[in-house]
Amino acid sequence: MKVIVYLGTGGVGKTSVAASTAMAVAGTGAKALVLTTDPSLRLRTALGLADGITEQQVHLQDPNAGELWAALLDVRATLDEAVRLYAREGMEERILKHPIYAMIANSLAGMQELMAIERLDQLRQRGFDHIIVDTAPSRHAFEILDKPALFADFSSSRKVKLVGRTYRFVEGLGLNFIGKSALDVYAKAESILGVNLVRQILDFYSLFYPIAEGYARRAEKTVEMLRDPSITEFRVVTTPQKALRDAAFFIDALKERNFAVGTFCVNRAWLHPFPDSLPGGLAGEVLSWYKSVSDSHRAAVWRLRETYGSVVRDIQVFSELERDVDGISALERLAVQMHLNEPTAA
Amino acid sequence: MDPQSRITVVCGKGGVGKTTVSLALGLKHANRGRRVVIVSSHPLPELAIAVSLEGIATRFPVAAKNLFVVHLDPREMLQDIVKDNFPMQMMADAILNSSIFRNLVEVAPGLKEFYFLARLQELAERKAAAAGADGPDYEILIWDAPASGHFLTTLRAARAFDTFLSGPLAAAGAEMDRFFSNSANMEVLAVTPLEEMAITETIEMSESLKRDFQLRCSALILNLVSPLVTANENEIAEIQLTGESSPALRFAMDRGHLERERAAVIRGSIPAPQICVPRIREWSNDLDLLGKVGDWLSFPPGAEGRGTA
Repeated sequence: MKVIVYLGTGGVGKTSVAASTAMAVAGTGAKALVLTTDPSLRLRTALGLADGITEQQVHLQDPNAGELWAALLDVRATLDEAVRLYAREGMEERILKHPIYAMIANSLAGMQELMAIERLDQLRQRGFDHIIVDTAPSRHAFEILDKPALFADFSSSRKVKLVGRTYRFVEGLGLNFIGKSALDVYAKAESILGVNLVRQILDFYSLFYPIAEGYARRAEKTVEMLRDPSITEFRVVTTPQKALRDAAFFIDALKERNFAVGTFCVNRAWLHPFPDSLPGGLAGEVLSWYKSVSDSHRAAVWRLRETYGSVVRDIQVFSELERDVDGISALERLAVQMHLNEPTAA
Repeated sequence: MDPQSRITVVCGKGGVGKTTVSLALGLKHANRGRRVVIVSSHPLPELAIAVSLEGIATRFPVAAKNLFVVHLDPREMLQDIVKDNFPMQMMADAILNSSIFRNLVEVAPGLKEFYFLARLQELAERKAAAAGADGPDYEILIWDAPASGHFLTTLRAARAFDTFLSGPLAAAGAEMDRFFSNSANMEVLAVTPLEEMAITETIEMSESLKRDFQLRCSALILNLVSPLVTANENEIAEIQLTGESSPALRFAMDRGHLERERAAVIRGSIPAPQICVPRIREWSNDLDLLGKVGDWLSFPPGAEGRGTA
């Protein structure tokens, strides 16, 4: 199995590039799946994506093609499912109805990366040749790699377990003295964060830690798979205007984590053929506007190649599509622009 | 821009130019002699550095004295809170260095957002208080908000503490929720390019702001638009008459057509004046770019003329 993880800032067309890659891979006869976080309505419709934790097969015209599947990362549904699967007997409802659980589900931004890993763990068992992951649209996409460890650290910390158990025991006795207990840091944390919040957190994690621990074990394996360059390639999607800034940021961030820097996809470039002489009036104004943008795009791509050509695996440039950027036909046109290459064990 | 509002919020989808617009707007007003503070919760990108460089004193001498860009780091804010509670350095350090405390903060959902809002409200109230005193600290407070999803999550953090918890933080949450749900305190400027996903997200954000927080967009800033968006029908019809049909022109025309349709869609959903900022063609450095973007940000909203679609 191969995995391609697309990284990139917002507005660069990451989802379209990821879906087109899956389509191009399926075109070679493989069984491919794209896992997407935040598709547009039209792309959602085109791919037949539904909320929940099931994946949908997308019909392909080409009879020789393999299979194209699409899945949506539904954070709440993935989290609920993990609770149902891994909660201790009888604890499921208490967790799902806990105020802290409601708050966690509320702050979906932070959970997205954690749940992407969980979902990837579910999907790797399903026999796909290629899984293409479209990460959350931010520079914080690396939390997909950093956060599981943090989460696991906390929930498996012995003190949390101890406090969790003590708390449950104390609660069961109808006493209420944990703030005065010897667990000094908690007492101090309580005075800063408020007794109520700290207790709610402790109570919650005392219920939740078996799930978090199970999660951490699975996440460890998944992250290991992402670290293996013979399986996983990290690609960066950018636009001509953002190319240099994004390259500086993502190359550093990948290197810092000891990941190989994969292909750079410069998307939405304006490279259409241009007339030799300009007409007058608004047509001329529009054309000269197009030309100035187009020139700056070409210059940016050139600078990217000059500066980072030897550092990244490959630089691919995709032309911006005129219309229907989100329909299946647009994905097909984008897929045509891709020259596929397999993740290497370099 | 409404000087009465306590906070001017620049919000929208990720990657639409919120930081550019925030800085351009701040620079423009600072250069007219108003004292401006721009606040963000995310680390400042390279662009923000432009306004703190020496170049600003030559190109925008007035702004150089009046413009301040502040990054409120939630982690640093928590450090301040710990230090306020434990004035003894050793004790404060012990808590801050304890992995239990750090982890508690990391896993307490919404806590960082909560403290960010608390500090922002403090700044807004200081602005209002200073306005009545002998001379204002600053007259304009701009919040360069995070991308729309996280922006809404941030606003909801105050309410979540109130809804799901009890005690002093919940009470503070309720009070903050009242502040940020009050349109007298918040002037909302939504930034969007005329692209499908961005306008869908902007419309959803605007509906959510109205439904959950009783906030309305004061103006829509249509960013990176083509010259065709502000052209009239006759001018566009004339293009066909030139007989020019290069792929570049076809692309530009298609794009202009789509952008006009999308501007109409968004006008139907969000009843706010639209301010067009075209894609800037040439700039010598970041500061120059910010100055040029600022030229298009003509306020107060509703004023007809250049740049209004």
